[in-house]
Amino acid sequence: MRIILASLRRHSLMPALVLLQVALACAILCNVFFLAWQRLQPMLAPSGVDADNLILVDNLAAQGRTFTAAESVAGEAALRAVPGVRAASSGFGLPMVNIASIIINLQGPTHAAVGVNAFFGKGLVQTLGLQLVAGRDFLPSEYRPWGLGASNGSNSDWDTGVTQPVIITQSLADKLFGAAPAVGEHLDDPDDKQGHGYQVVGVVKHLLRNELGLATDGRADYTVLLARNIGNTTMLSYAVRVNPAMRDVALQGVKKAIKHQFAAATAGGPQARVQTYLEKRKDAFKDTRAALWLLLGMVLAIVIVTLVGIMGLTGFWVQRRTRQIGIRRALGARRAHVLRYFLMENLLIVGTGVAIGMVLAYAGNVLLMHYYELPHLPWTYLPVGGAVMLAIGQVGVLAPALRAAAVPPVVATRSV
Amino acid sequence: MMGYSMELALRGLRRYPKTTALAVLTVAIGLAASMTTMALLHMLSADPLPGRSRHLYLAWVDAVQAKPQTYSSLAGMTLSDYKRLKMPDAEALMQARRATMQTVVADVNVLVQGDREGQFSEELLATSSDFIPMFGVSMRDGRSWTAAEDASRAPVAVIDSRLAQQLFGTASAVGRVVRIKNRDFRVIGVSQPYLLQPHFYGLYEWSFSGSSRESIFVPYGAAVDAGLGSSSTDGCDDATEKSRRYIQVDPVHCEWLALWVRLDTPQDVAAYRDFLEHYARQQPLGSSGKKPQSLLVSVQQWLTLQNVIPDNVRLNVWLAGSFLLLCMVNVAGLLAAKFMRRGAEVGIRRALGASRRAVMLHHLLEAGMVSLLGGVLAWPLTLLGLALLRMQEQGFTDLARLDVAMFAGLFALALAVGVLVGLLPSWRVAMVQPGLQVKSA
Repeated sequence: MRIILASLRRHSLMPALVLLQVALACAILCNVFFLAWQRLQPMLAPSGVDADNLILVDNLAAQGRTFTAAESVAGEAALRAVPGVRAASSGFGLPMVNIASIIINLQGPTHAAVGVNAFFGKGLVQTLGLQLVAGRDFLPSEYRPWGLGASNGSNSDWDTGVTQPVIITQSLADKLFGAAPAVGEHLDDPDDKQGHGYQVVGVVKHLLRNELGLATDGRADYTVLLARNIGNTTMLSYAVRVNPAMRDVALQGVKKAIKHQFAAATAGGPQARVQTYLEKRKDAFKDTRAALWLLLGMVLAIVIVTLVGIMGLTGFWVQRRTRQIGIRRALGARRAHVLRYFLMENLLIVGTGVAIGMVLAYAGNVLLMHYYELPHLPWTYLPVGGAVMLAIGQVGVLAPALRAAAVPPVVATRSV
Repeated sequence: MMGYSMELALRGLRRYPKTTALAVLTVAIGLAASMTTMALLHMLSADPLPGRSRHLYLAWVDAVQAKPQTYSSLAGMTLSDYKRLKMPDAEALMQARRATMQTVVADVNVLVQGDREGQFSEELLATSSDFIPMFGVSMRDGRSWTAAEDASRAPVAVIDSRLAQQLFGTASAVGRVVRIKNRDFRVIGVSQPYLLQPHFYGLYEWSFSGSSRESIFVPYGAAVDAGLGSSSTDGCDDATEKSRRYIQVDPVHCEWLALWVRLDTPQDVAAYRDFLEHYARQQPLGSSGKKPQSLLVSVQQWLTLQNVIPDNVRLNVWLAGSFLLLCMVNVAGLLAAKFMRRGAEVGIRRALGASRRAVMLHHLLEAGMVSLLGGVLAWPLTLLGLALLRMQEQGFTDLARLDVAMFAGLFALALAVGVLVGLLPSWRVAMVQPGLQVKSA
């Protein structure tokens, strides 16, 4: 160890350059990993729905009037009559249907959840294929009317005059009630102090929210279902669950049924959209995928540049010390000793670089946070970036170190 | 001495060609990454309407009679507010004629039909007579409408040449009739296609786009008569049942028209600001518990306020910039190794009387040349990077191009990088002691 330090002190330029490179690369890498993970989380979050067998219909806009509740129900009936369809629901705020979303805040006994995405519609647990883990689905008698036609004024549909039943997700239940059971518990709306609040009747395992940008840091399942019948609205949307064996037939059938049912009401307006859940999901994540490819390219470039840098510098530095190696070998050092010496030396330099890099990474994150809406860099990213750098260092030094170990003792005598 | 140093530098480049190539490549990748991201940022922050935009201001007063909405938290979401006005206020402000020019604008998506079969989904701009001269829409044919036609809500339209071609099969469409939502509009003028980047006066529709454009301009009064309401609003009065519809916007009780004014001098701006404040104070907002509010912002301030350039674009400039720094350190290392290899040779040169300055100059030139070569190589790489960006279909990425200014910037950057990168290794090699090196050689 003392030998390593002494030799580092005498020739300080090369190790200093390696160190600087490692520190910079480590700092960038930690932040890039963090940015990538922020993007990746919504993509990895389970949707909770029967993704393969779900069809979504949206962009049904009534021209010059509003749809009534009867039309909304008639649409459901027409869709259910299509061969291969198992269930159909008229809904507002359906998975991946992003025309408008209702965001509510919930206050539990001890904890609150803010910015929760509310999905409205009849029989959504069944139609979306959600997995109930506690409690029950809504009872038919619990549904109340709701539509986009009216806003939340004092006499609007929003206030039903009674406590509304609500189905929440497992992660909301954990957030709001901790270990205590959620079913049967009461939740308040902190924005509506005179409101009647909600009563939890059921808990589903997962249900991915629609604001994908906010589906990070455990908020992916910040979604609730409310027992509402859609009516009095200018926009309708439907979720349709189909028989897996008849998926393609059902998709065509749904398209035909929608055209038949709504062509007159929507004439002159935008075209209705009928897409599978998977198609919609693919579209929704298009930007995210592009950004991830970019970040991946960045990581690769950093790794390659750093690797080349370390190999180049250590290669030269090892070559400079060929004679010393020869002397050490002549004095009885074994090949393994020489190899271990260079690996250790690299570990020391890269380790110091990583330590500095972690501080830089943190500083960089604080700087970025100042300008952009980014959360704090969790400390767990630092060792990950560090470990990658240490591995790159060891790989980079391996070839030069092996070459050094191969130096025969006779070299020492030859050039003196 | 310069010529000699240059020759030595050229010779130096050719020795250890692998190291040279590696250094050139590293510089090129770093420069290309930085240039790609910076070119995109440069394009996105360009002036949308050079020469005119500095006199254009968005004017707004709060005239909505409704209780302000309060939320305990929006959890990271921002409510968009495009500072539009209800039609009566927009008209009152416009008719006061306190600015050199003034116009209201609102984007509406419509289906249009001409002589031929079939309807086209087009973007219509409901506006007033000043828009076309004020925003510099160039006319090909015919005329734009007058203030009198605004007042009489005349069903006239100016369409662009591309739409004229689509609807009528010819660009000279003046006098034809275009059918919008079962209402006939007489075409009185044909304009050149009009496409601003960013689309600053209608950010609620799009901000950057390679394809979207308004192809029809009609008087806003005639648009309202034809039932061509805007589908988005910044807020409505609590007053009527009609104003509570979310998707069909009530033109009288909801904010849907943006008022843009042209103000030529700072005095005019100050006077107009006073005028707006005065107007805001006259609003009967007392019952809703709101304070009078008004706003007058320039195009640049408006773009900043609306955060038009995506955060990602700036973030990527930061990332690419730090990557360039990493590349520079890397190249400095490679060059240091390369230069120190010739320690013996430098020792001999020093012993034969070469000054430290001469040695330093030679090596700086060599480093500079590595960077210049890197810059040359970075050019096609940058074009490649921009082509990759354009493939991303994010609307704004269509604008990713390299203009002359950025091209010059690339070479300036390459030179600066070369000098910075070369300084340390050149200084180190110039410090070589003559005697020692000769002995060991």
